[in-house]
Amino acid sequence: MTRRLAMLALAVLALALALPAEAQKKVLRMAFRTAETGFDPVRAYDRYSVGICENLFEPLLTYDYLARPVKLAPLVAESIPEPEEGGTRYTFRIRPGIYFVDDPVFKGEKRELVAKDIEYTIKRYRDPRNRAAYEWLFENKIVGLDELAEKAKKTGTFDYNAKVAGMEVRGKYIISFKLKEPDYNFLYILAMPNVVPMAREVIEAYGEDTMGHPVGTGPFVLKEWVRRSKIVLERNPSYRGFELETRYADPNDEWDRKAMEDLRGKRLPQLDRVEIYPIEDEQPRYLAFLNKEHDLIDETPVSFIQQVLPNGKLAPNLARQGVRVFPELEPEFTYDVFNVEEIVDGRENVLGGNAPERIALRRAMVLAHDRKQEIEIIRKGQAIAAQSPVPPGVVGYDPSFHTAAQDYDPARAKALLDMFGYRDRDGDGWRETPEGRPFVVQYKYNLGGQEQRQLAELWVKSMAAVGIRVETLAVQFADLLNDKRVGHFQMAGSAWIADYPDAQNFLQLFYGPNTNQSNEARFRLPEYDRLYERSLAIPDGEERNRLYREMDRLLLAYAPVRLGVHRIFNHLQYPWVKGYKKHPILYTQFKWLDLDVAAQQVAMK
Amino acid sequence: MTAYVIRRIWQMIPTIAGVILLIFILFNWVGGDPAQVLAGKISNPEQIANIRKQLGVDQPYWFQLWVFVQQVFTFDFGRSWSTNEEVSRIILTRVGPTLTIMVPVLVIETSLSVLFAIMVAYVRGTLTDRAIMIICTVAMSVSFLVYIIVFQWLFGFVLGWFPVQGWSESFWKNLFTYAPLPIMLAVFVGVAPQLRLYRSFFLDEINQDYVRTARAKGLPEKRVMLKHVLRNAMIPILTNVAIYLPGVFVGSFLLEVFFSIPGLGREIITAVNRSDFPVIKAVTVYLAMFTMVVNLLVDVMYKFVDPRVSFK
Repeated sequence: MTRRLAMLALAVLALALALPAEAQKKVLRMAFRTAETGFDPVRAYDRYSVGICENLFEPLLTYDYLARPVKLAPLVAESIPEPEEGGTRYTFRIRPGIYFVDDPVFKGEKRELVAKDIEYTIKRYRDPRNRAAYEWLFENKIVGLDELAEKAKKTGTFDYNAKVAGMEVRGKYIISFKLKEPDYNFLYILAMPNVVPMAREVIEAYGEDTMGHPVGTGPFVLKEWVRRSKIVLERNPSYRGFELETRYADPNDEWDRKAMEDLRGKRLPQLDRVEIYPIEDEQPRYLAFLNKEHDLIDETPVSFIQQVLPNGKLAPNLARQGVRVFPELEPEFTYDVFNVEEIVDGRENVLGGNAPERIALRRAMVLAHDRKQEIEIIRKGQAIAAQSPVPPGVVGYDPSFHTAAQDYDPARAKALLDMFGYRDRDGDGWRETPEGRPFVVQYKYNLGGQEQRQLAELWVKSMAAVGIRVETLAVQFADLLNDKRVGHFQMAGSAWIADYPDAQNFLQLFYGPNTNQSNEARFRLPEYDRLYERSLAIPDGEERNRLYREMDRLLLAYAPVRLGVHRIFNHLQYPWVKGYKKHPILYTQFKWLDLDVAAQQVAMK
Repeated sequence: MTAYVIRRIWQMIPTIAGVILLIFILFNWVGGDPAQVLAGKISNPEQIANIRKQLGVDQPYWFQLWVFVQQVFTFDFGRSWSTNEEVSRIILTRVGPTLTIMVPVLVIETSLSVLFAIMVAYVRGTLTDRAIMIICTVAMSVSFLVYIIVFQWLFGFVLGWFPVQGWSESFWKNLFTYAPLPIMLAVFVGVAPQLRLYRSFFLDEINQDYVRTARAKGLPEKRVMLKHVLRNAMIPILTNVAIYLPGVFVGSFLLEVFFSIPGLGREIITAVNRSDFPVIKAVTVYLAMFTMVVNLLVDVMYKFVDPRVSFK
């Protein structure tokens, strides 16, 4: 009896000791504004799923956390390779001793990451069965890979055992890529969070369920997943760990200083658990943060921006609680494309072609569009006017590049229209073409978006002020994508976010051969294409930047696009979130964060 | 009765065929091409064609329709086009949260509506009756969305009585922590129109001769109202509840979105946004079948509620 009592007392004591330990777990809670789709990096096609993959898998390279402009850093690779053979060969040596997380597929054995795993992933991108949304990364890129993909299309089976001349696996840890053409941005592709080594046996074992069975080498593992409701990551117990790299930190940057102070001497990752809740609606997402149900909110909803940042300053109620705001100018731009095909849907397109009067019409429409209203009213001041498709923070961005060609100037727009014969001849208030025919321009937008509707209304209003009739047509998102891809539109809105931080990722949007793909304007200008092709063969530097500027100037002159804005997203954190600094390319930064649990719990009481 | 039930089941077949055809036409007409969504940021026509081939949307319409019919009768709708998750699993995992909210809503809302309706019908024409009717009319005039926004802000954030949003794996935690605010909201919004409707049912019965006779016989008012009036008013009430019943399984999309409830309503909207036809097909067909079964059950129940009803 006494023994039993003693054991009971011990059990109670153990429980009492265990409870505080459990309570001290560092649990970060936050929301995603869109639901995820799954965590097979090759099959995932949305930003949020890829954001989770960032934490479960590891690419060969990554980005330095603090360096701005962004800087590549080795991750699974031992170092960043130098381009060889004129930018057509890159050889990586993988760090020995990196292991995948334990999984039943490995049958209790430790599975080391080897060079063949990255070769396998790249092959998966070209396997038609995977419907990889990022297949384009490896199209016309690696010697021998296109041929293998073509064969798979014909036979219906992708031969993963076939050798690809452009992917030489030398021993266990070395892989050398041979490219068809020089590509100085290839390293960025290998730093993308969805281009990660994967174990072939895992993918084959889980077959169609790979979206729900991510097995990587990353700092976290997927602990729980209630689809479209809750994603729980827990620290990978066998992760090797790392310390914050401060080499590129800016001592004058308060976020860098704070991150260094918060994380000094700590082995990362520090978080034990991350809970992510996809919440599509803005109010519950914001209130969950205010209610301290969440520790941070990425991308504060624009509809609440006046409450968060009245007059551009953090609201006193938030400041009193020690909330910090990280305003991030996203590496993206919004724009409206003019379809420059002369015939659209079998009819003459008044916006199409490069005849002087057509270019003049497009340029006049750009000048007449009230971008100031767009920024102040629709974007609630959370954007800056784009001067070029290349956003700040991206290699090739030139802060001094400014042009009046895209500034709001209705007087100039009217003068330009008059000069090229677009006059109101019949006195009905609307201008006719130089040939005297009435014309209407159609603007297509996404049926489901309030912001898109407002932008469409602004077009109608801005153009009416200079006598151009614009009618709007709301269509389903999927239909809009298709219409823009095949040229079944006159004008439509778009946005592009950086896949990798180089101007090329933005300027390819107007490269002629990309028509029917990303070149929605269907802009085909030999001079532009030549400059673009030349820029691909040159490493980052003055010469390449000069080519980028030339391309910018051609876009402004021919106006296949109205440059919109670079949006500013405001990320809020409570003071117990430590080490925060938003990275412009990486979507999450869990592995660099720490949490002051005591402060978190006091605040939650 | 057996013959009646068999006849009704037989009649369901053309209805299901009509539903299948309607869904198929609507999806192909206005649903959008799922390949465009799945293809990602940069894709060429060949890749889109490959995706269309894998999804089977490149097949002739008659073949796609035949596949749909087979799916309905084998109860196998395959996998979601956007997440690759099995459709059956999606439905099974989402229906629980929806029912956790909607079953209490239906029970509380119906009970309260019937109770208040019989009370105001009894005091018809008085100030209380008029006041309640005015309140109901005003309450009905405000959008559900406004109620959600205000209630969530007031009870979730300002007063802190409930969490603003969330869901857990524990049924009891969900029922007593996360569900009360959405349930309260749905009941608050649903009671007003139902109360008005049920009041009119009761008023119809109160003015009947049998009520006058019962009173003339000297029956107590309580017995007149609860035994005679309530029982006779149950047929239209049952019909009304039956109309609402299938909606219980779909849930309220707005509630599920605003309170982050992983239910079926939210799933359907996501599926529509992503042109995820397998999910849309499965949910709409099952719902149509469920509606028909509920209608049949309600028709059968009429017999028990009102012995005058006969099956012909």
